[in-house]
Amino acid sequence: MTVTLVVDGAVHALPGAVRDDALLVEADALADVTGWHLRDEGLCRGDVCIPRFALDGLEHADGLDLATFARALGRPLAVEPAAALAVLAESPDDQAGAIAAGQAPPFVLPDLDGNPVALADFVGRKKLLLAWSSW
Amino acid sequence: MIVAISLDESVEAARACARDEVPTPLTYPVLVDRDHAWAEAYGVINVPATVWVDEHDRVVRPPSIAPGDDKFIEFTKISADIHHDALRRWVHDDVLPMDADAVRSRRAPADAALQEARAERRLAMHLLRVGHEELGHAHLARALELAPDDWTIHRGSMPVRGEDPFGEAFFDFYQRWEAAGRPGYES
Repeated sequence: MTVTLVVDGAVHALPGAVRDDALLVEADALADVTGWHLRDEGLCRGDVCIPRFALDGLEHADGLDLATFARALGRPLAVEPAAALAVLAESPDDQAGAIAAGQAPPFVLPDLDGNPVALADFVGRKKLLLAWSSW
Repeated sequence: MIVAISLDESVEAARACARDEVPTPLTYPVLVDRDHAWAEAYGVINVPATVWVDEHDRVVRPPSIAPGDDKFIEFTKISADIHHDALRRWVHDDVLPMDADAVRSRRAPADAALQEARAERRLAMHLLRVGHEELGHAHLARALELAPDDWTIHRGSMPVRGEDPFGEAFFDFYQRWEAAGRPGYES
């Protein structure tokens, strides 16, 4: 079956399963969308590895348990097993760190007609980013 | 230049508001951040808020509550002039509104409950968009519980919760937030 995982704002349909309210995703598919690969030494991205002893309960016959995966990365995960849907958010430290560096985080957002507009489109100009809403 | 970013779930609601603004049509881009991905990355938890970004994409003023006029000053308690004057000095004379230390000290600290609330909110909105009403509202309730003072989560979800963001439910929220010392509210 398919598990829907929202990560970094993108929606991914991944091969997996729902077992006792837990969402499982095939390891290769999860690696493709998150960059974290399960190896002998642990869960690794580039040179950084989370050791095996911190990954208790991660591996199942049908895939990796998303809740354990998120916990190991220190990232919050919201799960709805009835819809086979999960959202993996940024860790609190990474989220705070994104602006702590002093550089404006890059973004691409649609305008009212759906055309993508990026922060990078306005480089070299002073920008007043104005958050507003109808409410 | 101005880049306006709407935090509305309904693009139609954003479009209707933009249509009523002056000058008509607006001369600056109006973008839509339905998922609040931009708001979260920049630490925006209320509107109207501004972030000043310089020519090299450095943040020179972190998210600040900046009413465009004094229409609601009784509630906002922030005069629009403060921002307008500072903005003119920055645009015309390169006078920064605060030094780098002040910028750093204003940044929101890591907040585990808020991050969890954001994950729950995003899950809820996905569920509501695909028609899972009951499940969506359950996760939205969880998000509100985790981040009771976040306007983008609380007031921002009033339209999908069938509540009036200018009605009684909003004033209940406002009074509770006011009694808590207006958390997260900086001009």
